[in-house]
Amino acid sequence: MFNKFQEIYIMSAHRGGGGGTATPPPTTTGGRAFTFLRAPTTVTAQMNGSAALADGASISTWYFSNGGGFNGDRTVPSPVIEANQGEQVAITLSSMMPHTIHLHGLDVDQQNDGVPATSFEVTGSYTYRFTATHAGTFMYHCHVDTNKHMEMGMFGTIIIRPSNGSTTQAWDNGSVFDKEYLWQLTTHDSTWHSGMGGGGSNLARYRPDYFMINGKDGANTITDSATAITASAGQKVLVRIVGTSYMPGIIRMGSLPFEVIASDGRPLVQPYITTEQMCAAGERYDILLTMPSSGQYTGGIEYRNIRNTDALGTVTTTITVA
Amino acid sequence: MRRRDFLKAGGAGLVGSTVFSISGLTMLSPGNANAATVSFNLTAEGTYKTLVDGVSVYVWQFIDTNSTGPGALTSGLVVKEGDAVSVTVNNNLDRNIRFSIPGVSMSSTRTISPGSSRTYSFTAPAAGSYLYTDNVNGELSRAMGLAGPMVVMTTNGSNNLYSGGPVFDRQYTLFMSELDDRLNAAVQAGGSYNMANYEPNYYFANGLSYPDTKSNSDTLIAMSVGEDVAIRFINGGAITYPMHFHGYHVNVASRNRIIEKNVIEKDTVQVERGECVDVILPVAQAGTYPLHTHYVPGVSANGVYAKGGLVLMSAA
Repeated sequence: MFNKFQEIYIMSAHRGGGGGTATPPPTTTGGRAFTFLRAPTTVTAQMNGSAALADGASISTWYFSNGGGFNGDRTVPSPVIEANQGEQVAITLSSMMPHTIHLHGLDVDQQNDGVPATSFEVTGSYTYRFTATHAGTFMYHCHVDTNKHMEMGMFGTIIIRPSNGSTTQAWDNGSVFDKEYLWQLTTHDSTWHSGMGGGGSNLARYRPDYFMINGKDGANTITDSATAITASAGQKVLVRIVGTSYMPGIIRMGSLPFEVIASDGRPLVQPYITTEQMCAAGERYDILLTMPSSGQYTGGIEYRNIRNTDALGTVTTTITVA
Repeated sequence: MRRRDFLKAGGAGLVGSTVFSISGLTMLSPGNANAATVSFNLTAEGTYKTLVDGVSVYVWQFIDTNSTGPGALTSGLVVKEGDAVSVTVNNNLDRNIRFSIPGVSMSSTRTISPGSSRTYSFTAPAAGSYLYTDNVNGELSRAMGLAGPMVVMTTNGSNNLYSGGPVFDRQYTLFMSELDDRLNAAVQAGGSYNMANYEPNYYFANGLSYPDTKSNSDTLIAMSVGEDVAIRFINGGAITYPMHFHGYHVNVASRNRIIEKNVIEKDTVQVERGECVDVILPVAQAGTYPLHTHYVPGVSANGVYAKGGLVLMSAA
């Protein structure tokens, strides 16, 4: 039965060619510190990227681009995609090689789940469709040979806005905020990024040596305006924590307390205030930071081994009261 | 009931029948206030396990001659709250072991020397999910496979996760574990191994790796739209398992039998080392969806995807 689905959709994918919906350039509006694509949109799977690391090294990356060829955004993580609660969302994947988009946490139907074994791979183009039932923070990533493809960088964040499209409220009648940041956990094992191989025993053991937020490490994280938090005293800052690394991380905002208001695209029944929050692989946490009266703080992520005892590496950035 | 049907019985099976046999154990019908006296016989053994890629690896296992475990596990305990339970353990390993269930007081805390046996008795504790293991050799035992699941049903055998707790229509137990074949080889050779160097390269649900999980009724989660399905994650390994559900959000009911107060729907549930996490999955749509660790290297066999800790859920 599943093979039947596969046949039908791959045929339609080929009919779709490589084009899809024209995608406007990403924009930054409202309190967002990041650029985004508004669904319906198209992303293109690419396997020719590179990431500049703080130590001067460069590693090859794969990613979803917001445009064809070399014209689009070639960074890891892949573009942020947004839609509103209640919408029928369409995201077109264009790809010359077999890839998929798994819509992580959006509870889509089987055909749109993006898993080769239960859905199908896409070569050409396919438009993933789902109804956005809950406002919140979600992920997307390639689910072909996932161990390799996701680690290479084929992941991004999907944000579902409230029904009215508000960019200052987390969900319908939910928490309000002034500014909004996205911290996507990112780690790379640089040995996994050499060559174009799909898998095998060289991927048997994951030993990350670069520890990042939003694809930037070291000094690059501290100066990255999409990551380093700047807001006025008393402003409420929403930080969406996205567990896109294979390793868990402990999130800290310096010593500043913050309120955890949602996880995995659902509001918490009992929000809580803490100074650190563990985010495991695949999880998301929405946290609300009320800026103190003054000062600059050093926040960041301490990555932990899945053995969960030792810190693997730490990445820091600044939290500044403007 | 065959061993393959370990803990996937529906409501009719547990509540409707007067005598219910599971894992070689007779469970009394609801309303019978008399707790049962049940006994198990486990042998701690060094044996060989054929992995999904055909590689044979030396492992330690608790083996029940009645083969009561789910999936490919060689033992598993199912009892009811209040039962008088006795577990006789025979030690065929080359070192001392001690049968232990974190959270349960045993009649004896003495170890078992190689070649000897010992019987441990206890009163079945509060309904919920438990892990049993050897606690002399630390994490080495779990890394080598010397652990198993214990499920305690409510006193009257009802379909509640715990007394007065959430009701389920079906239940599955997923015992998560993994191994580092270098450690197994070192133990087999009689050498030493530092657990600080532990980096697993094979991963299991109930002792099976995908795609073998598809062809075993304990690891192919069959369900129907509208049902509430209980899934008991028992982390018998030495790493954490962030379990991601495709297609569904689930309600986390309890962690190590402590009721989760902050009721929340999750699509990814972190299961710490040695932790037991019970969730209720409301089956909101039909289809076939994966359930797997999002430590994605854990969905591989020696790096080959997707031969690892992944099971399918299939809803009609």
